[in-house]
Amino acid sequence: MARFYSTLKSGVSSIFGPVLNVASKPVSALGGVFDSYVNLVGVKKENEKLYEKYEKLYVQNQKLVETERENERLRKLLGFIQKKPNTMIAAGVIGEDLKNWFRCIIIDKGRKQNVREKMPVVTPKGIVGQVVEVDLWHAKVMVLNDTNSSIDVNVEGKNTRGLLEGTGQNTVKLKYVIKNDDIEIGDKLVTSGKDGIYPKGIPAGIVITANKNKAGIFADIDVMPYNNFRQLDEVLLIKK
Amino acid sequence: MKTFVYIIIGILLLVLETVISPYISLDVLRPELGMPIVLYITFFLGPRSGLVAAIVIGLVEESLSGAPNGSLLFVSVFIYLIAVAMRRKFFVESKYSFAYLSSASVLMQSFLFLALSFFARGETRGALNILFYTVPNAIVTGFVSILLFSFIEYLNDSFPERNQ
Repeated sequence: MARFYSTLKSGVSSIFGPVLNVASKPVSALGGVFDSYVNLVGVKKENEKLYEKYEKLYVQNQKLVETERENERLRKLLGFIQKKPNTMIAAGVIGEDLKNWFRCIIIDKGRKQNVREKMPVVTPKGIVGQVVEVDLWHAKVMVLNDTNSSIDVNVEGKNTRGLLEGTGQNTVKLKYVIKNDDIEIGDKLVTSGKDGIYPKGIPAGIVITANKNKAGIFADIDVMPYNNFRQLDEVLLIKK
Repeated sequence: MKTFVYIIIGILLLVLETVISPYISLDVLRPELGMPIVLYITFFLGPRSGLVAAIVIGLVEESLSGAPNGSLLFVSVFIYLIAVAMRRKFFVESKYSFAYLSSASVLMQSFLFLALSFFARGETRGALNILFYTVPNAIVTGFVSILLFSFIEYLNDSFPERNQ
């Protein structure tokens, strides 16, 4: 029964891969135009001609700035891939989870492109999450902010280790760090490689609060991940 | 025919919401677009059409979400069953009563999902996160379902000759 349901769900999901791909293109193209349009509402009628000219130039300028940003982003991505050739798959983000209960993104690579479950997903900035569901043309990635996400991390340059757990919000919690352990605000966290999913040494986030005054043996530590999953356009999947 | 068209509208809205989300941050203001369609079909086109809608919309929502297998389908069918039981007791006479109904279905959806994760998986992790979004989701869905109801009524007025 469970296998039948998984096959049925996978079949339904496979239909949505190409649909999401097609639907995300005009939306992405419209994004920049929409932003600039909103800024120009309410201009007086006398300035119509000037306004039209301005609007055209503004949209062109926005496109140029966006292209420049994209170039820079892709150049960094390419540099990152070239460090470890043939170990990574580049993918584009085409959607976000339908429910705001989960922190999940949908990418445009699936089983056809050799994407597999539990593949770590990163950007040149740091860790994004792991692949949790793979369909024919697309895959779902659980972002590290998700409440079901846990990553084994070390504090960079120190002997402190803990579990980075998602909260569903923008910040995540570093758990099981004993109050006596050496950790302070501004410390950088990297993956320890001991959870069997993420390779060692990938940046995960930065400590923003470390409260050692609360009851219990563990400190209460908030961490800001390096990646804002709402602003991801491209990601890299690490082949195992 | 109408059932098919409304289900297609529901699917398109769900796909559009998924694709738009990365560009417009909908975080707290994310409407539930599937349930109003299931409710409309159940209340106005009958329980048989409603069941088809509940299964299709449930499956589509699950395909576009990281929810555990079967959870959203279960919730969708459960809400359909409640809607069938309420069909003769709750009279939807305007877009506003439909909005109340849609909002209530979103509240019910969250609680059912929480109950399911608690009883089936034995965990409460993430419960606070779900509760945090429950009320905003219900409010936004209420407003959006007013527009959705008006749109469907407009379609009904424009194509009155189409039967079920």
